[in-house]
Amino acid sequence: MEISAVLTLGEQGIEDAYAGKLYLIPPYLSFTSLDRKSVRFTMPLSTVRRVERLNARAGVYALSLITWHSSKIIVQLTSLRPTADAFCVLLRDALKVELQRGQMKVVKGFVKTCYSEHLLSSSSSSSSVTIADSSPATEREDGELVPETKEGQEASEPEYLGGLGLKFKFPGDPRKLREASKIKLWTTYLKTHGRNLTLLRYPQCTRLVQVGLPNRLRGEMWDTLSGSLYLRYNNPGVYDDVVRQIREKTGTLLGKTSTSFEDIEKDLHRSLPEYAGYQSEEGIDALRRVLQAYSYKNPHVGYCQAMNILAAAILIYMSEEQVFWLLEVLCDRLLPGYYSPTMHGTLLDQRVFESLVARHLPDIHDHFQSVDVQLSVASLPWFLSLYINSMPMIFAFRIVDCFFCMGPKVLFQVGLAILKINAEKLLLVQDDGGFLSLMREYFSTLDDSAHPTSPSPRTRAITCFQHLLLISFREFSSITSEVILAERRKLRNEVVNTIESFAKRAAVRNLRTFGRVGKERAGFVYDALYKAMCEEPPPPELANGSPYGLSSKDVDHGEMAGVTTGTLVQVIDGQQEKVETKIGLKTFRVFLGEIATWARDEKVIFNGFQQRIDRQVAEHELIDRLFYFWDTSCRGSLSFQDLVSGLDGVMFNDLMESIEWFFNLHDKDKDGYLTKDEVLTLSESLLFIFRHEIGDTYLGAVSRFMSNAFEYGDALLDAGHGRGAGDDHGFGERRGQEREGYANLGMEEAGMAERKRATEISNNQPYLNLATFRMVVLADEILESFFETDLAASFRLEPVIDLELPTHASGGLLGDLWSNIATSDNKRIFHKLSDELGKTIGKHQVVYRPAIGRYTRAEEPRARESILSPVPSKSTTGSSSGDSYTLAPSTSSSTLTIEPPLPPLPHDDNLAPALTPSAALSSAGLATMPHLQAVSAAFLERTPFAIDDVGDEDGDDEDDSELDEVHGGDEDDDQVMDEVDAFLEANDSGLSEADKQVARDLVNAKPM
Amino acid sequence: MTDAASGAVDRSVQVKLVLLGEAAVGKSSLVLRFVNNEFQPNKEPTIGAAFLTQKCRLEDRVLRYEIWDTAGQERFHSLAPMYYRNAQAAVVVYDVTKASSLEKAKSWVKELQRQANPNIVIALAGNKIDLVQSSSSPSTAAPASDSEDEADDATATPGETPGSAGEPESLRQVPREEAQAYATEAGLLFFETSAKTGQGIIEVFTEIAKKIPIEHILASTRGAGRNGAQVSRPGASRQEGNVNLEENQTKGRDGCNC
Repeated sequence: MEISAVLTLGEQGIEDAYAGKLYLIPPYLSFTSLDRKSVRFTMPLSTVRRVERLNARAGVYALSLITWHSSKIIVQLTSLRPTADAFCVLLRDALKVELQRGQMKVVKGFVKTCYSEHLLSSSSSSSSVTIADSSPATEREDGELVPETKEGQEASEPEYLGGLGLKFKFPGDPRKLREASKIKLWTTYLKTHGRNLTLLRYPQCTRLVQVGLPNRLRGEMWDTLSGSLYLRYNNPGVYDDVVRQIREKTGTLLGKTSTSFEDIEKDLHRSLPEYAGYQSEEGIDALRRVLQAYSYKNPHVGYCQAMNILAAAILIYMSEEQVFWLLEVLCDRLLPGYYSPTMHGTLLDQRVFESLVARHLPDIHDHFQSVDVQLSVASLPWFLSLYINSMPMIFAFRIVDCFFCMGPKVLFQVGLAILKINAEKLLLVQDDGGFLSLMREYFSTLDDSAHPTSPSPRTRAITCFQHLLLISFREFSSITSEVILAERRKLRNEVVNTIESFAKRAAVRNLRTFGRVGKERAGFVYDALYKAMCEEPPPPELANGSPYGLSSKDVDHGEMAGVTTGTLVQVIDGQQEKVETKIGLKTFRVFLGEIATWARDEKVIFNGFQQRIDRQVAEHELIDRLFYFWDTSCRGSLSFQDLVSGLDGVMFNDLMESIEWFFNLHDKDKDGYLTKDEVLTLSESLLFIFRHEIGDTYLGAVSRFMSNAFEYGDALLDAGHGRGAGDDHGFGERRGQEREGYANLGMEEAGMAERKRATEISNNQPYLNLATFRMVVLADEILESFFETDLAASFRLEPVIDLELPTHASGGLLGDLWSNIATSDNKRIFHKLSDELGKTIGKHQVVYRPAIGRYTRAEEPRARESILSPVPSKSTTGSSSGDSYTLAPSTSSSTLTIEPPLPPLPHDDNLAPALTPSAALSSAGLATMPHLQAVSAAFLERTPFAIDDVGDEDGDDEDDSELDEVHGGDEDDDQVMDEVDAFLEANDSGLSEADKQVARDLVNAKPM
Repeated sequence: MTDAASGAVDRSVQVKLVLLGEAAVGKSSLVLRFVNNEFQPNKEPTIGAAFLTQKCRLEDRVLRYEIWDTAGQERFHSLAPMYYRNAQAAVVVYDVTKASSLEKAKSWVKELQRQANPNIVIALAGNKIDLVQSSSSPSTAAPASDSEDEADDATATPGETPGSAGEPESLRQVPREEAQAYATEAGLLFFETSAKTGQGIIEVFTEIAKKIPIEHILASTRGAGRNGAQVSRPGASRQEGNVNLEENQTKGRDGCNC
């Protein structure tokens, strides 16, 4: 729940009051000032030690919150009274829940892990713990929620977590970094504004971050500012658990357990090797544990080079557990997709950066275009390693400070500033190499004076790095988090398409054999596969024998070669340099539904507004059977190659090949004979394929097939039993003249039966061989034509239409609009809506679209007078007069776009183009859009959920214009406070004087 | 006039060369040996790509190699085209102690032959030859242990060497003959190298230099110079040229001596 509120700090005169919104998102309480950047806090409810309603002027509804760190926060609820009451009730309930969970007790142990506690207790233990214990509970409206706990006063050993720096020293010269004065400033700030879990982020906080965090506090502040602190708080013991699991598993597998682990191992000794900590086993081991733990817990990310550098750098300041959670926040929220197997996040942000350069530094962009220089050759490593391996570490860490405090936009701002500062020289650059050299040169001068010739010593003291930060935040303050998000959204599809087409090319290139499918059609297979994988991602454990269950994607991109993790992981053969993406049965169903007309249920729906086709993936034993049939290596999964080869085996068959293929498909033990059960299954398969065909034609055909098959099969058995006494016994008349032709087949069959020496054959013993099957099929015209062309033609490889991602080329206002609106959810809602409307006006109509579509009318050819047919054809022909649904008349009058539905086909048409390509239909859907656009647009405009706004504690929205206030020597520590003051004075908190007065009064108000 | 100036400044021919290969086979080390004649046991993994230049004299021509040293991890694969576009030469590196790295190398060759510049000169380099070399010496014990030590602190990646801590020859997983046969079949130059000892490195770049159609490049770049940014180009290239010359001087003599 959110509520408007005015925030005041308990100690008068420290800070202004800020208007904003208070959010209750159990188990957190959060506040954001109206500008969304000046003041924010997010604290676990368990750190709220007391809540009191304040006795104040009439009409003022205010709460006083006392936190674990004894800060007194006063929030004046400015909403209407009932809202405020409701909020209080919710708050009380939420606090009770926390209390019952026992979370309140956890806080004490947790905060001890934070250096700030140590810092404050050692610097001044006097003022830190006073308020909370002193004031006993009095009358209250919202209840005394927290029992008085004895605050820990025990002088404890320093238990705070810290990184390798504590032992191996921090990089940089502490005196030059002015560590002491920074620590002093922070001590003051943390004393008055809470710390770690209860930190209040006032503008001064950001300000202090921008001048660089002190080394000892850096880890904790990263933890707090990024929000990873909360993950650590909520998941105690998880890290140790993961590490233990890994240790147990690696113990048995000699540590070579997954691709990621191998890659990590390669890089351990190559991560900041010049830092003393990584020249010792201790540092290496810590780094290994953290990276392994992360990749183990996040198999979809695994391990990406550059993460080693990040982790190694962060480990200098933070404990392993902290790094573990910070990596989580980094890879998940701050740099989404950066380190994923496709690195799509990296590529996306490179595109975003490029577009920002085009907008803000058009000269450079144009010049680079004209000499064909790619920005990413330099900027990609900047982003990927947060500048850590581009510039000297001490400077990179300052950028990282700002990054954690203000979010990813910092990377863009700094990048733009680097280009801007070097603009003149960049315009002379002629090639990628020159660009890189120039950048390298620049980074090596960051410690130099930015104004070496200035007469004023103060100005001379400004380093290039300070200049860079200044430009970043002053000149590019317009690059807000919103801008970045918007750009990412805009360019996302483009990037995804690029990646996908690259992957597609590589996958097609790496096929061992195309067979008759050919390169182009292999591309279509890939598209269908990709679409299926989007809809139904393969289970992670598939395609990979690794005990850690890396995702198939991961394996796909991992270097698998030479892995010796036992028999489970396939070793690469010949041309195939990497293990392919594999799909499981579920994904296969979707895939087949894309390709084979009978593997999907398509409902043609007319509802008076539109005609559309709803496609659903069918489920049938036949589909599963096909899956295992194509799984030639019996791994329970199919690769791209398997699919192409499988399709090759069916799509280009002639009559005899088709019959044989279908026979083999159902001959499970591959002994050349179908059992009785298998004959039944085969018949079921046929019925499944024909399930949506119009009329009874196919039903009749299948029923004739069954009786023929069994009769003939039994006859042969008899024949076998009678030792060839009469191979035409029992069906002599029917075989007639054709006896001669089939005699040899009969003999063969007889021989088989003889071998079996079985009079009564059980259901799972060999029964029907291929020759007999062929004969039975050929005896029926319908089945013959099915196997001659329709079966092969039911597999269609065509460009995949209506991919989830709208193509950019569609262009045009309407196209864009539609593609914006046409998320699958919205489409569903839209369709449902129009269906409902259609039903009310009686125009709703649903017809299944046939998979073969040869007989579009109920009329059917007369069954061939088969010599084998024991069934009087009367039954089937009789039914043909019964009218069944035909599609043609169903194009109801009022459809807005009338697609001629399936046109009746000439009977002997070889192809069965029964399905109008769904492209036509989807365009039909599009054409109907204008009429209902307004309706659909409404679905788009979803008000942002509170969590969207507040959930990001990482500080996306910090003020970055602050440096405007100060010119130049922002590093000078004795200036810092003045600057902060000046800034605060200049910065209006958005409240009138009267409001402020109210707020000030509240500070002294007594609890009711 | 402009032509004359540019001719004087860079008589050198620019050759764009890209290094490809599996992670940790020693691509960066190979370049570092060639450019700076150095060897760092624990070279940081390349993120994206690194860029280095080196001049090299071949008969009366000066070649200026612009070397793109790419990241090896598979997931950086999709970035590779950015670096190998317009490359006139490529060195595809594998690790002689790791059979799978040759497979990866083959796939790179395949990709280059299909996607890159059609006239690209490709060299296949089997690196880390130092790890398998002592096999040639008849005495067994001492060199073997020696080589094992090297494996631990140097080029071999920890945890990757097969368990058997015995003969150095057992470290070799790719027989020279096999790789040679593949290279011949695919039309590649072939070398076995050691970035650690420097063995074979210069040869790689020398042979590439010999095979590259220099006149062709010269003609095309001159053409580009004339058509393209005529005014700025000489100045820019002079600047770069100076930088690299200095580098080379300070680092001492390490170019091709042919």
